[in-house]
Amino acid sequence: MSTGTQFYISTLCVYAGVDILAAWGLNLQFGTAGLLSFCYILFQAAGAYTAAVLSLGPQSGNGGFQHYIVGLNLPFPLPLLAAGVVGAAISIPIGLITLRRLRSDYQAIALLVVSIIATSVATNQAHLFNGAAGLALIPPPLANSLNLSAVNYQWFFAAFTFAVCGVVYVVYRRLTRAPLGRAMRAVRDNEHAAASLGKNVAGLRLLAFAIGGAMAGLSGGLLVEFIGAWAPSAWLYPETFVLLAVIIIGGTGNDLGAIVGVLLVPIAFAEATRYIPAIGRAGLVDALQWIAIGLLFLLFLWFRPQGIFPERKRKYLADGRPASLLISFRRRLGRSAADSELNREPAA
Amino acid sequence: MSLLGPSIGFGLVTASILALAAVGFTIQFGVTNVLNLAYGEVMGAAGFIALLVNKAGVSIWICLVIGAMFGAASSYALNRAILVPYIRRGTRLFGMVIVTVAVGLVIENTILAIGGPTFFSYKLPHQSTFHVGSLIFTGFQVAIIGLAVVCMIVVHGVLRYTKLGIAMRATSAENSLARSCGIRTERIIDIAWLISGTMCGLAGVTLFINTATFTSATANEFLVVIVAAAVLGGVGHAYGAMLGALVLGLTTEISAAYIDPAYKNVTAFVILVIVLLVRPQGILAEIATQRELAT
Repeated sequence: MSTGTQFYISTLCVYAGVDILAAWGLNLQFGTAGLLSFCYILFQAAGAYTAAVLSLGPQSGNGGFQHYIVGLNLPFPLPLLAAGVVGAAISIPIGLITLRRLRSDYQAIALLVVSIIATSVATNQAHLFNGAAGLALIPPPLANSLNLSAVNYQWFFAAFTFAVCGVVYVVYRRLTRAPLGRAMRAVRDNEHAAASLGKNVAGLRLLAFAIGGAMAGLSGGLLVEFIGAWAPSAWLYPETFVLLAVIIIGGTGNDLGAIVGVLLVPIAFAEATRYIPAIGRAGLVDALQWIAIGLLFLLFLWFRPQGIFPERKRKYLADGRPASLLISFRRRLGRSAADSELNREPAA
Repeated sequence: MSLLGPSIGFGLVTASILALAAVGFTIQFGVTNVLNLAYGEVMGAAGFIALLVNKAGVSIWICLVIGAMFGAASSYALNRAILVPYIRRGTRLFGMVIVTVAVGLVIENTILAIGGPTFFSYKLPHQSTFHVGSLIFTGFQVAIIGLAVVCMIVVHGVLRYTKLGIAMRATSAENSLARSCGIRTERIIDIAWLISGTMCGLAGVTLFINTATFTSATANEFLVVIVAAAVLGGVGHAYGAMLGALVLGLTTEISAAYIDPAYKNVTAFVILVIVLLVRPQGILAEIATQRELAT
C-alpha cells in the first residue's frame, strides 16, 4: 500500500472507532432507555473540548493566538478520561432539567433546543471557546515518547481506538445485560408498569443519559486527540441525526447493528460521495448528502423500522441470569433440554 | 431609555411573527399530537416560494398571500402524503418525530441545493416610517404587527365562537371521544393542518421581510424560538402560545439591545429552562399527559 492509502485507511479506522463508540452511547440512551437524545452531539463536543484544553499548554503558548480555559498540558490518558467524565457531568444537569417531568416528545424538543443553543454560545464565547475559529495545535498523545513514523503513528492510533472500543464494549455489554439494563428497557417499554414495580423511572433515565454522555465524551476526546483541532461548527445539531441514522438503520437496541450502521452511514456512504466529481456549485454535494440521509430515515422507518439487525429478544434462565448463546441455539434447534429453564425476559 | 424604545419596537415585531408561527405550530400539535419538527423548513419553503414570485416582479403583499397558500397546501400534503401513512403503518411518537425531522432535512437541503448557500432578499418598495410615541416603525413592521393582531383575533373567534372551533378543541382534548360524539375528526385534523400551514406560510414570509437578508437555514434557526414560545405557553394551547410569543419577542429583543445581539436565542433558552423547571406544563396549560396519535 502506498503511504497515501495507508493514511486514508488508518484515518477511516479511527473515524469508524470513534463513531462506533458514539453510536453505542446513543444506543444506550435511545435504544435501551428510549430517550430521544437530540442533543447527543453536544456531549461529544464537550468531551472533545475537555480533552483539547487539558492536552494543550497554557493559552499564552504558541504566541497566545487562541483563547481557552485551563491549559494544563496533562499527560496522555488523563485528558481522555476527563473527556468521558465531562461528557457524563454535562449530561446530568441537562437530564435533570429535561428528563424529570416532561413527556417524551417534549423531552426531544427541549434537547434539540439545548443543542442549538449550545452551539450559539460556543460560537459567540470567544474567551472560553475561541469562538467559531475553535482550537488548533492540540498535541497528539504519546507522539514524542513513541517516536513512530507518521504512518505508523496513524496505525497506532487506530489500534488504540479499537482497543478503547473493546474495553468500553465489555463494560457496556455487562451493563445492558445486567438487571440495570433490563430495568432501563422496562422503563422504555412501559414507564408506568416499571414505576409500579418500584423502579425509579427518572433515576434510570438519568443514569442511561449520563453513561451515554460519558461514552460520547470519550469518543469526542479520541477524535480531537487524533485530528488535533476543535471547532463548534464540527458539532452542529444535524450531526446527531447522522448518529441517529446509524442506530435506526443498524438496528435500535442492537450493538452489532450499531457497528454495521457506522460502516454503512458515516463511513461507506460519506466516503462514497467524496468520489462524486464536484458537480454544480460548491456545497451541492453536501446538500444532496443530507437529502439522502433524510430519505434513508424515511425508507427505513417505512420498510424496516427495526433496522437491519433488530433488537435481540433477550433470554434469561429461571434464576434471572442471561441465557448463554449456546442454550438459545439449542432451543432454536429443537433439542430443548434447557427449555424448561428458559424464561422470557422476567419483569425487571 | 434611548435603547429601550427601539428595542421594544423590534420586540413587538418579533413577537408578532413569533405569534403567527407559534400559534400555528401549537394548533396543529394540539389537535393531532404530532410534533412537527419540519415546521421551520415549511416556513422557509413558503418564504422561498414568495421569493420566486417576488423576483418575477409581483408585489410583496401578493407574495405574502401566495406564501400563506403554499404553507397551507404543503402542510396539508405533508400530513396526508407522509405523516398519516406512517401513523397508519404503526409508527409511534418517537418514530413520528424522526419522520418529521427527516422531511425537514429533505426540504431544507432541497432549498439549499436549488438556491445555493448565498443570502437572499425580497424586492421591497420604499416605505415611510411611523412614529408612535418614542417607537419608530417602518410600514412593513406596522403591517406585520397588524397582520398578527388580525390573525390572533380570527383564531380566537374561530376557536371560541364557531362550531369548527368547538370541534377542534374537542378533538384536541380527546380524539376518540370527539369521534364518538359525531365529530368528523379526520376533517378537523385536515382543517387544523390547513390553518397551521397558513400561519406557517405567513410567518415564513413575514420573517424574511423582517430579517431583510436570509438563507435556506434562517427559518429553521427561528424554530428554536417558536418552540420555546409554544412550550412556554404550554404546547397545544393557542392563547398560551400568544402569551409566550409576546414574552419571548420582547425579552429577546430587549436583551439583544442591552446584553449582546449574539445572545438573543440564549435569553429565549434561559426563559425556557426556567419554565421547564418551574412549570413543565407551560404557563397556561394543565399537565400534558401522553396521548395517542390522532389520524
